[in-house]
Amino acid sequence: MQAVILAGGEGSRLRPLTYSRPKALIPIANRPIIGHVIDALISNNIRDITVVVGYRKEQVIRYLNTLEIPVNVVVQEKQLSTANALLCARHEVKGRFLLLPGDNYISAASIAKIKDVDRGILFAEHPEPTHYGVVSMRDGYVRCIREKPENSLGYNVSTGVFMTSTDIFDDLEDQDLPEIVNERIRDGMKVRAVHAEEWWDAAYLWNLLRMNTAVLKSIRPGIAGRVSREAVISGKVSIGKGTTIGPNSTIIGPVIIGEDCTIGPNTCILPDTSIGSRVRIGPFTSLGNALIMDDVTIGSHSSCIDIVVGEGTELADHNSTVTGEHTFEEDGKIVRGDFGAIIGDRAKSAPFTVFRHCIAGNSVSIEEGRTITGVLPDQTVVR
Amino acid sequence: MCGIVGYIGRREAADAVVEGLKMLEYRGYDSFGLSTLDTHLCTRKTKGRISECDPAFLSLSGNLGIGHTRWATHGVPDIKNAHPHSDCTGRIAIVHNGIIENYASLKKELTDRGHRFLSDTDSEVIAHLIEEHYTDDLLKAVEEVLPCLTGSYAILAIAEGNRRLIAARKNSPLVIGLGDGEFIASSDVTPIMTYTKNVIFMEDGDIAALSDDGVIIKNTGTEVVRDQVYIDWDCNATRKGGFENYMLKEIYEQPEAFYRSVHSVEEEGLPEVLMKAPSLSVLACGTSYHAALVFRYLAGAWCDLPVRVELASEARYFSPAPGEVVLAATQSGETADTITALRRAQELNCPTLAITNVLGSSVTRVADHTIYMQAGPEISVAATKSYIAQLAVFFSIADQLSGRKHRDALMRVHQVIEQVLLLDGDDSEKLCSKASSIFFVGRGSFYPVALEGALKMKEITYIHAEGYAAGELKHGPFSLLSEETPVVAICPEGESHDGMISSLKEMKARGAPIIGVGTEGDQDAEDIVDLFIPIPHTDLCGNILGITVVLQCLAYYTAKLLGRDIDKPRNLAKSVTVE
Repeated sequence: MQAVILAGGEGSRLRPLTYSRPKALIPIANRPIIGHVIDALISNNIRDITVVVGYRKEQVIRYLNTLEIPVNVVVQEKQLSTANALLCARHEVKGRFLLLPGDNYISAASIAKIKDVDRGILFAEHPEPTHYGVVSMRDGYVRCIREKPENSLGYNVSTGVFMTSTDIFDDLEDQDLPEIVNERIRDGMKVRAVHAEEWWDAAYLWNLLRMNTAVLKSIRPGIAGRVSREAVISGKVSIGKGTTIGPNSTIIGPVIIGEDCTIGPNTCILPDTSIGSRVRIGPFTSLGNALIMDDVTIGSHSSCIDIVVGEGTELADHNSTVTGEHTFEEDGKIVRGDFGAIIGDRAKSAPFTVFRHCIAGNSVSIEEGRTITGVLPDQTVVR
Repeated sequence: MCGIVGYIGRREAADAVVEGLKMLEYRGYDSFGLSTLDTHLCTRKTKGRISECDPAFLSLSGNLGIGHTRWATHGVPDIKNAHPHSDCTGRIAIVHNGIIENYASLKKELTDRGHRFLSDTDSEVIAHLIEEHYTDDLLKAVEEVLPCLTGSYAILAIAEGNRRLIAARKNSPLVIGLGDGEFIASSDVTPIMTYTKNVIFMEDGDIAALSDDGVIIKNTGTEVVRDQVYIDWDCNATRKGGFENYMLKEIYEQPEAFYRSVHSVEEEGLPEVLMKAPSLSVLACGTSYHAALVFRYLAGAWCDLPVRVELASEARYFSPAPGEVVLAATQSGETADTITALRRAQELNCPTLAITNVLGSSVTRVADHTIYMQAGPEISVAATKSYIAQLAVFFSIADQLSGRKHRDALMRVHQVIEQVLLLDGDDSEKLCSKASSIFFVGRGSFYPVALEGALKMKEITYIHAEGYAAGELKHGPFSLLSEETPVVAICPEGESHDGMISSLKEMKARGAPIIGVGTEGDQDAEDIVDLFIPIPHTDLCGNILGITVVLQCLAYYTAKLLGRDIDKPRNLAKSVTVE
C-alpha cells in the first residue's frame, strides 16, 4: 500500500509559528504533526510513503531525513491547490493509494479502518464545521462534500484523508479535491464515508493546545533523564535523556519533556504540557496546558498557563500569562479564542512581562514590566 | 586518495560494491572499477564517475568482489590505471588506497623476473608480488608480500581458487563490517551501514581474512582480537534524502552538528595537558586552518592564551617550541600534510592533540589525545557542517580554558544558524554570479570568516575570490577594485564594527559594489552598502557562526545559478592524503 502526504502548504492561519516552518512541522507532544501521520501509517504497515513538500521545503526534508524509514520526497514549486500538490506525486504512485494531509493529526486506528476500503473518505465531527468540507452521506456512502459552507446543518467534516486510486489523476486540473470527488460521485463513483477514530486539526493557533492535550494522552511514559530524589512525579510523564529535574519540583502528567533540558528546583509542571529539547525552566516557575518548543528559556518565578512558546524564545524572570478571550476579525466575521499567550520563535522578554491573551510575533523584544495585549507583529520592539 | 570496498556474502557482490563506491565517491572520482569472483575473475573498469555510469556495464556475477574509486596520484586517470589491478595470470585482483613508496625498485625487480606491467600505477606491483607467493592460500601470500612494501596502504585482494577476501592496512583507513553471514571491508563506515552497524577498525599492520564463516585478523604473524564498535550513525545521514545535493543537506544539518559537538566537548572535558598549556600551536590545512584562525582570536579574547596557527604543509619549515602543546585539526583525520606535521611535533617531544570528525581515522592513531567533533558523515567535497562542528570544538576549548564563562551562551547559539537559514539572499547571489572576481573582507575574528567565505566561493563556483583583512586592502589590493568586483564586507555590531564602517567608505569611493553582512537595523552600514544581508542581534560566537552560514549559502546559491556540480567541484577531492 502506498501513501501520499501533502505537506507543501504554509498554514498561514498559524502565523507567526509558520514563518520558519510549515504547519506540518509544528511539534505536538514533541513530534512534528507530520511525524504523527507517518507513525500512524507505519503502525498500519504502510511504508511506501511519498511526501509533497513546498513551503520551507528544506526544513521538512531535514526532518524527514531523521526518520527511521526512508520516505520519498516530491517538490511542489508553487503552492497552488491541493489538486496541484497531488499532481506532483502522480508518478510516484500506482493503483490504489491513501492520500493524507501532513498538517492534521490522525490516529493509527483511523487509518486501520480505511486502509481496506476500496474508495473512501475519513470523516469526523467538528464543532466548527464551516472551516472544513462538510460531508453529507447516505447509507455509508458520501453524497457530496461542501467546502467551507456559510452555515452548516451537519457536524461531519472531511479529515482530508482519502482512499483513492490513480484514476483520480485523469482530467485533474487546478481545482480543490472535494470538487473533484463531488464530480466523480455525480458520475456514479461510490465513495465510502468512514468514521475516523481520532483526528485533530488546528484551524487557529489556540487549537494547537487542544491538539497537544489530545495527543499527550497517548504518550508512552518513561524517564531517561536525571530526576532529583526530592522531585514528585505522578501520572503519565516522559522525560528525555540528558534532562535534569531539580529538587522539590512537581510534575503531574500527562507531560512530555525532551532531551538535555534543565528544569530548575521548585518548579511545577501541570498536566497537558509538552516541553521540547534543550529547554531551561527557572526555579519557582509554574507551567500548565503549555506547548513549549525547543531551545526555550523561561526564567524563575513565572507562571505560564495556556501558552504556546516558539523555538529559541527567552522569557525572563517573573513573566506571567493571563488567560482570557482573544477576538479578532477574519473575513468580516469575529473569531474568538481562549488562551494565555502565543509567542513566536526567538522572541525575548524582560522581567515582569505580562502576556494577556495575546499573540506575540517572531523575534519580538519586550522591555521590563510591560503588559502585552492583542497582536504584536514580528520584530516589534516594545519599550 | 581513493575509496575501496570489498564484499563477501550471499548477495550479488557487484551491486554491493557499486553502491558502496557511490558513497565513497567523495574520496575520489576520476576513474573506478570492480572485480568479482564467480568461478573466474571478472573485471570492469573505466574513466569517470561511478554515479554517472550505465548500471549494465557494472553487472558482474559472483558474490565475492572488490571495487575502487580513484583519485589519481601515480599515473593519469584513465582505464589502464584504474583499479582493480591484476597479476600476469589474471587470477588475482587487488585494489589499493595509499602510496607504495618503493614501487619503482620493486617494479624493476619484477620486470627483470619477467612480469608484464599494464599500468603506470604504484599499486600494480602488489598484484605481481602476490602472484609470486600465491599457490592456494591468499592470506599467506599477502602476509608474505606486505613486508616488501614501504609507504601507506589499504589493500583488498581476491584470487581464483580461494573464496576469501583479504584486507590489509597500514596508514590508510580500512574498516570491516560484520553482517549476518556477510562481511564488508571499506575505506570508511558509510558503505557498511546498509548491512550492519557492527564494525572493526583495523589497526596498522593488521591483515584480515574475510570468509563466509567470519573474520580472522592477524598482526605480525599472530592472530589478534580487535574490538567491535557499534556505530550509531543513522543510515539516513549518508543519504541525500530529498535535498538537491549533499552540500545543501549538510548546510541544513549545521545547527544540530554544532550543538552536538559543543555538548559533547563540554561533557567530555579537555585533556589535562591542554588545560595547563601556557601556549598552543595549531596545525591545519584548508577550512580547518580557518577554524584554527578563528580560535586564535577567541582564545586571545576569552583567556589570554597565545595561539600560533600554522598551515600544516608549511609547518615543516618551522619548529614548535620543544614541549609546546600542538593541536592538529583535520576533519577527515586523513590529511597527509597535517599528520606529517603532527608526527614531526611528536619527535620534538611536544604533547599532541587531534581534532577530527572520523572515528578511528589515521590522525587519532598518531596523536596522544583526540577530541571528536560530532558532525556525522559529510559527503559534499566543500566542507560545511564539519567546519561548523570544528568551530564548535574550538569554541568549547576556549570556553573551558576561560573557566566555562561562555557555556550557557554556546549551548544556545545554534539558534542563530537556524535563523540565518531562513534568510533570502537572491540579489547578492545574482550579483556574485555575474562577477569574475569577488573580495571578502572582515576585521578581527571576522577576518578568518572572510577567508572561509572566499574559499567556499572559489571551491564551488570557480569564481576567483580573495579574503582580506579589511585594513590590508589599502596596502595594495585597492588597485584591483572596480565596478566589476563585488566586495562582501562583514560588518556586524561589536569591536570591529567602527573600523569596518570606515573601510566600507574607502571601498565605496573606489566604486566597488558592496554586499554588507551585518546586524539587522544597522543603519550606518545599510546606508553605505549596495545590498545588505541582515543577521539577528547576537554575541561574538553567534556572529561568527551566522555570517559563516550566510557566506556558505551565498556560495551555494551562486554556484547553483551558474549550474556547477556542487558536490564534486572540478579538480578537488574531499580529503587530501598526499603531501
